[in-house]
This record gives sequence, structure tokens and C-alpha cells, in this order.
Amino acid sequence: MKRILIVGGGAGGLITANKLAQDLSVELKKEEISISVIDPAVYHEFQPGYIGIAFKGEKPEAMRRHVSSLILRGINLIPEKCARIIPEENKIVTGSGRNMSYDYLVVGTGCEPDYSQIDGLSRDNLDYHTSAEKSANLYRAVSSMKTGKIVVGIAGLPYKCPPSPNEAALLLDEFFTRSGLRERVSINFVTPYIRIYPAEPINEVIEPLFRERNIEMSTGFTVDRIDTAGKKVISLEGDEIPYDTLMLVPPHKPGDFLKGQDFTDEDGWIKTGKTDLHISTYENAFAIGDVTNIPISKAGVEAHLEGIVVGENIVSDITGNNVKALFTGRTQCSMETGYGKATFVIGTYTKPVLKLSPSKDKYIMKKMMEAMYWDALMGRTEAIFKAYFGDDYIQYQSRPVRAPA
Amino acid sequence: MVTVNIDSRGTACPGPLTDIIRAYKKASNGDILVVMATDPGIKADSKSWCDRTKNQLVDVKEKNGEYTVTIKITGKS
Repeated sequence: MKRILIVGGGAGGLITANKLAQDLSVELKKEEISISVIDPAVYHEFQPGYIGIAFKGEKPEAMRRHVSSLILRGINLIPEKCARIIPEENKIVTGSGRNMSYDYLVVGTGCEPDYSQIDGLSRDNLDYHTSAEKSANLYRAVSSMKTGKIVVGIAGLPYKCPPSPNEAALLLDEFFTRSGLRERVSINFVTPYIRIYPAEPINEVIEPLFRERNIEMSTGFTVDRIDTAGKKVISLEGDEIPYDTLMLVPPHKPGDFLKGQDFTDEDGWIKTGKTDLHISTYENAFAIGDVTNIPISKAGVEAHLEGIVVGENIVSDITGNNVKALFTGRTQCSMETGYGKATFVIGTYTKPVLKLSPSKDKYIMKKMMEAMYWDALMGRTEAIFKAYFGDDYIQYQSRPVRAPA
Repeated sequence: MVTVNIDSRGTACPGPLTDIIRAYKKASNGDILVVMATDPGIKADSKSWCDRTKNQLVDVKEKNGEYTVTIKITGKS
């Protein structure tokens, strides 16, 4: 029996497991393969929904589902942590000390905010990147605010969902404008980049909105620490920005169990092939999603498409199909710009980011994609994605040849 | 003084600048960052970034579509 072990039940891990269960349903039924997902989380949260909870008061309950309801029949769900990966021995060790061997390994353990990198940040910061619950706390704080200085933006790199700090600033502007309090609330956007959005084509459409809406812009501001007594954000150069309310996106880190491994970099990100998604030099081990060191957005669509590519290659290996799937680097990050409009950050490894102006149509499309999320995790929307992403969906090195029945 | 080599070749904007900012966070005044990149945006972006952050752009070289940018860290308080 070929054992496929998926570490992490996030957006990437679940689509990989479900794709494999669909494409290898015969092998799964005959017990020629096993598919196991190891993750201690009971619930899966729709992380792009945190923005809506934090800045529009959307309900957290709608953003979470039981993980067991998101996997197809035949997939084993193991509610444990992974404590160590030993790829040279084709095994992992769980948090309870159990050894689990595999024939194929897929790691999609994601990343999380790392408050330890910025002194003072955890004391004062309102967070919309950790959980639905914390995002709801932020909305309660915003709702009770009548006046003051908000500092919003990026506290450190890398972080999940690149457009989210911009969305936060724009949605705060909408919230306080609609409440009639905008003149009493200042919004200052800080970023270590030299533009409001780092990719120039999107910056060209976003920066004018910031100007129109009187959102202050502090570019090239690399946060060093937070002076919570003096209520100031302090940069590495010693510049200071005063605040009453702080909503910075913390720098993110991979799971601590990954630090110090041969197959990870100095910060613990997994050294991953940009297109084949192999972990370092291991032919039967793959990494997907936020945990990789691939220099693209840390976001759900990328994790999803990477999961499809890895699934395709494992299926190909098991069935003997003559196909090698490659990840194109496709990004599809939505950015809500307020007042019922949105834009998308779209690019690939070879195609630069497009300049797409915000529109109501794109907002509707964003909402449609969000509505498809749970079905997408189950692998029920791939026909739509294939048609939508076109050549960016998967790149094939050789044409697929169907294995004999 | 430490020289830190950063290989950002094959990454598109903002990849090289992201690598510079992450290295800057760990660096000390006097350290040298040597960044290799293929994204042509690195030329203007590294200059703007140095201007904003009070660091010193020492050199930008281009050869066969590859850029080597040398930055001296001078901006930290």
C-alpha cells in the first residue's frame, strides 16, 4: 500500500487530500493507497473572511467549519501535531511521539503571526490575522471608537494576504465616513515598502484612493518597536508615529518545529522548488502554501493551485501517467477598496502583476469566489477554476497519457 | 561589519525589495548588503528605498540582465 501523508489541514492540505481521494478513488477503495491528514485543529477557518469580520462586522460563525466535514470519505484525519519531519527516513514524528512512515509527504502547515519580533506589539495591537475571534474583537474596538489616531499597515515581513493592510485602511475610511466620524479619526498607513502597494501596477490604482480619502501614507517605515507607554510606533531609523489605536499586521513565521532543519532556511521556511514544489532534493516530499520559501504571496489561491499540482504529480507517479505538472506562480489576491468595489492582484512567475482598477464587478466576483470556498476545498470547483485560470492553472511538461483501465 | 549576500534572481517585484527589507531588519550599521536580482525594477526601487531609509546605495551594476546592488547600512538609529 502506498501511504500519502499530508501534514496540515489548511486550504492547501485539504484540497490536496480531496483531489487525491477523487483521482485515486479506485485505488483508495481497493486499499492500494491510504491518504492521511494530520492536524490538531478541530475547525477550519476561512481566513480571507477575517477582514470582513474585523472591519464590517460580519459574523465569525459563518467563517468556520468542522475539519471532518471538509474531507471526502476514505481520508484518515489524525488530530495530532507534527513534531518533526525526517525526510531522509521517510517519516514524521507526531506530538505524542508516534512515528508515521510515508511513501509521499505533503507539508502545508502554513504560518502564523510572530509577535516576538516586534517589542511591544502584542500589548497594544488589534489583530485580524490570527483568528475569527480576534478579528471580532477588533470590530468591537472600532465600533466603540469616536475619535483618535489609528495606525494601520505592515509591522514586518513576510505576512499573509498582501492586500489585507491596504484593505484595512480603506475599509476603516469607509466605516468612519459612514459613521460620520471620519473627521475626528485619522488613519496613518505604514509600510516598509516604498509604495503603498509594493507592486507598481496595483500601487498606481490604490495610491490615488489613499490620497482622495485622506489616508496618511508612511512609506519606507520599517517598524522596530512599539513604545506602549508613549503610544508611538518607532522605526529602525528612529522615526516615530503616534497612535491611539494600533492595527498592524505582524511579521509571520512558520511552525517552530521546522527551525534548524536541513530542508529549511534560517527562519524555518521550507526550501521548496518554485515549480515542482519538491522539498529540497526529496523526490517524494512536497511543500505547499504559506510554509514554503517561494517568493510569492502567502495566500489561499496559491496554496490551492500548489495542492492541485502536487496532487497531479502524486497521481501521475502512482498510476504511471506520463505527466509532470508544474506550478505557474499564479496569484489571485482580492483587494476590497470600500464602497462595494474591489480589485485583484493577478500575476505569475513570468507575467507581471496586472493593472486592474477597482470596480463593482470585481467586488461581485470576489464575493462569488468566497461563496465557492468550501466547495473549492472539497475539489468540487476545479472545472470552473481550470476554465478561469486557463494556462495559469497548471503547466505540463509532457502531455497527460491516460493509464490503461 | 558583515557582508550579506542576497540572491533574489528570478523573483519579480517586490521580491528583491522584500529580501532587502528582511535582511535590513537583521543587519547593523556598517554592514553591506549585496543583492543579485533579475527584476529591472530593483535599480529604481533600491535607490528610492535607500533615500527613504537613510541607507547608502554604494553601487548598481548590470551585466547580461542581472543586477548587482550594493547597499551600506547606515540608517539605523
